[in-house]
Amino acid sequence: MADVVEDEEKWLAAGVAGLQQNAFYMHRALDSNNLRDALKYSAQMLSELRTSKLSPHKYYALYMRAFDELRKLEMFFKEEARRGCSIIDLYELVQHAGNILPRLYLLCTVGSVYIKSKEAPAKDVLKDLVEMCRGIQHPVRGLFLRSYLAQVSRDKLPDIGSEYEGDADTVMDAVEFVLQNFTEMNKLWVRMQHQGPAREKEKREKERSELRDLVGKNLHVLGQIEGVDLEMYKDVVLPRVLEQVVNCKDELAQYYLMDCIIQVFPDEYHLQTLDVLLGACPQLQPTVDIKTVLSRLMERLSNYAASSIDALPEFLQVEAFSKLNNAIGKVIEAQVDMPVLGVITLYSSLLTFTLHVHPDRLDYADQVLGACVKKLSGKEKLEDSKATKQIVSLLSAPLEKYNDIVIALKLSNYPCIMEYLDSETNKVMATVIIQSIMKNKTRISAADKVEALFELIKGLIKDLDGTVHDEVDEDDFKEEQNSVARLIQMLYNDDVEEMFKIICTVRKHILTGGPKRLPFTIPPLVFSSLKLVRQLQGQDENPFGEEESTTPKKIFQLLNQTVETLSNVPAPELALRLYLQCAEAANDCDLEPVAYEFFTQAYILYEEEISDSRAQVTAIHLIIGTLQRMHVFGVENRDTLTHKATGYSAKLLKKPDQCRAVYVCSHLFWVDDQENIKDGERVLLCLKRALRIANAAQQMANAARGSTGSVTLFVEILNKYLYFFEKGNPQITVAAVQSLIELITTEMQSDSSTPDPAADAFLASTLRYIEFQKQKGGAIGEKYDSIKV
Amino acid sequence: MPSRRRTLLKVIILGDSGVGKTSLMNQYVNKKFSNQYKATIGADFLTKEVQFEDRLFTLQIWDTAGQERFQSLGVAFYRGADCCVLVYDVNSMKSFDNLNNWREEFLIQASPSDPENFPFVVLGNKIDVDGGNSRVVSEKKARAWCASKGNIPYFETSAKEGINVEEAFQCIAKNALKTGEEEEIYLPDTIDVGTSSQPRSTGCEC
Repeated sequence: MADVVEDEEKWLAAGVAGLQQNAFYMHRALDSNNLRDALKYSAQMLSELRTSKLSPHKYYALYMRAFDELRKLEMFFKEEARRGCSIIDLYELVQHAGNILPRLYLLCTVGSVYIKSKEAPAKDVLKDLVEMCRGIQHPVRGLFLRSYLAQVSRDKLPDIGSEYEGDADTVMDAVEFVLQNFTEMNKLWVRMQHQGPAREKEKREKERSELRDLVGKNLHVLGQIEGVDLEMYKDVVLPRVLEQVVNCKDELAQYYLMDCIIQVFPDEYHLQTLDVLLGACPQLQPTVDIKTVLSRLMERLSNYAASSIDALPEFLQVEAFSKLNNAIGKVIEAQVDMPVLGVITLYSSLLTFTLHVHPDRLDYADQVLGACVKKLSGKEKLEDSKATKQIVSLLSAPLEKYNDIVIALKLSNYPCIMEYLDSETNKVMATVIIQSIMKNKTRISAADKVEALFELIKGLIKDLDGTVHDEVDEDDFKEEQNSVARLIQMLYNDDVEEMFKIICTVRKHILTGGPKRLPFTIPPLVFSSLKLVRQLQGQDENPFGEEESTTPKKIFQLLNQTVETLSNVPAPELALRLYLQCAEAANDCDLEPVAYEFFTQAYILYEEEISDSRAQVTAIHLIIGTLQRMHVFGVENRDTLTHKATGYSAKLLKKPDQCRAVYVCSHLFWVDDQENIKDGERVLLCLKRALRIANAAQQMANAARGSTGSVTLFVEILNKYLYFFEKGNPQITVAAVQSLIELITTEMQSDSSTPDPAADAFLASTLRYIEFQKQKGGAIGEKYDSIKV
Repeated sequence: MPSRRRTLLKVIILGDSGVGKTSLMNQYVNKKFSNQYKATIGADFLTKEVQFEDRLFTLQIWDTAGQERFQSLGVAFYRGADCCVLVYDVNSMKSFDNLNNWREEFLIQASPSDPENFPFVVLGNKIDVDGGNSRVVSEKKARAWCASKGNIPYFETSAKEGINVEEAFQCIAKNALKTGEEEEIYLPDTIDVGTSSQPRSTGCEC
């Protein structure tokens, strides 16, 4: 292969050298106005183009050099004509060149000057030239020669408004000339595949592909002829070109030329001739990549519709959508072996088209999706990754267009397509949907919409038939489930009844999610429900007194059942938190039994499910904190609950944890803003008990390490003493505070104590606080004054 | 003799698909404009006579396919260019961003003898669209880019309205004329007309 390339370089170099040498003599002849020599050397120069050894690329390089030289010759001819030399004689003269290829290049060159001189009608000269070129039947040489003819005649066509415009049917002459040249070129091009040995077929196809623009250029020229108006395009140009395309029965040519037609002629023409253009599609070879051709047509038309509102009536008038829809149906029918990717690509383009052109016609969009479903039905779930990607882009199109899932939810076939996605792609699509909702802050405020939405995104909501989850990346899973959680938070309606329906709908779906998903999806549902409870609180209860209407009680009942589902996970710590949240909300609604029930649930979890000591510490503090804020309980209930809480506290595993929980319990007996909860004695009991535990903790440390532990716990308890002292708890006396301070100081000075800078600093700042309060004066100052430090 | 050599000026127009290369050429050469988009296939040129400093020149203006799939034969026609016109659409950032690629591609493929000083002209086209409201590339930004590439002359044009088209091509012609791109001087080593007149053998007799 390398040898071939090397050889080619050599041949090109030799060709260029020969060309340059003859060009040199041609220049000399031109400079001395020696017409005969000029013709002789130019013919010799052009002989270099007779080579068969070069690939199209290399041949093109050589051709371009000859092309440039011929411009100089052309200018010389013009000067000759100006000097009075008969152009007709020149036209005759160049035909004496010995070889046909140089002769025809020279003829085209003089022909160009001939037309310019207007000594003969353009159409006659052109007709003559295009006929003469038949003399070259070697495909590569013929194609380049004819492309030379196309180029030099390019600005001399008898177009309307052109200076070469002749009488009546003048544009027709121009069109005829180009069409004829095009037809001949296409024949050469198509025939090329049958020449040479079969083993070089691949190489030949590559070379043919490189040559394609020479043929396509004619269509470009046709597109540029001003006189080709819609009528002529419809009546002459398009039918003639299509005839050639269809009849050549060549895959490469058909695919390329269809693409050219679509690209070089204006949108308006395509719209007005859709029938004809689309009608040709099923007549093409079955191997032609029609989907790309049609996709490009639809893309063009979509852009056209997007670029100008004025164009829209035109689309309606010609019923572009139904024509395209039909054509696609026929093509799919005709090409039985079209892979599913092709089908989806086609429908994807059609959907984009209709979304652009008929944004108000959702039924069209649904029709496209429906056709897609029909094609997919009977097939297994898609395995082809490219096809699934294409489906994702198909399904994303309506979201991108409308930025509103609610509109997409109206498309009845939308969920049907999602059925054909494998669970992985289903998830991808579900994520796209959620992201669209987030990005556009779409409000989904009706239960039936929520139902439809969750049906769409069920790939994220539950395990779809027998999917193995071992392979799912943990982080990806969290990310997915967090996005579902965010989505749940976004569903909202001011109307209480509808909101309750939404909650029930969401609940129904997420409960199918299984133990891995519930910890992610239950909390947002709980908080969404609590939000509704708060909303109800703001309203008069049962404004219409309807029995069926939503009440906080009803919601709490549901909440209880909802949180309970976590027990199957199990996730006792999370459930405990949620029960406490619910209890607090019930408290705000003055529902004592409900609040009590939630606490009971939390306590059961604490006793039966939470066994880890760190988790217990966290849980007990949450319990105490929540219980402290409760005001709904009567004495009896409250006593029961606080009793249990203090009991749990004292039974924690580690002494320091016990100590802290117990002194925190003191707050359960003394609540600032509740007059009936001011039990100084029991506060003191708690604190004393905490002190005993702190002592025991220290002794244990002593026994274990031979040195006393830190005094931090004591300082913490001292702070609690000061708090209640300041709040006026009569049981906390100056003496008690003072003796505690002394105890701490002694401890710290004992030989066996471990130096602890943090505890020292803590104590120092506590003492500073006492000093500070003393200096404040007033009632507080007086109170503190009696404490001697 | 030099008179003939320097009367033809070759100009190549490059730029993304749909920026208006063909329209600019048509407006300049034929004083015509069409709103319809028609893709160009391969390379196409039109000529126009221009008067410059009392001399007549032929401007050979090469319009090119912006879509790569319609450039199947490569870019051998870049050879011998005297000036390269880079066109973008002021309403499309991508077309502006791609100017750099077009410029570099041209310098690599055409390999002019003095790439540093090879004359380019940049045209920001379609300034008429939507009264300038859909514009996304500012004149300042475009000028800054031109300045950074060796002070490339810059014009804001509308092929539709014919704004600045004549001026731009005047400048293009002037720069094409200024270029040091002389044709490679060819001198035959030996003058042996006898052999060179014998064409090398080819596959067939045409």
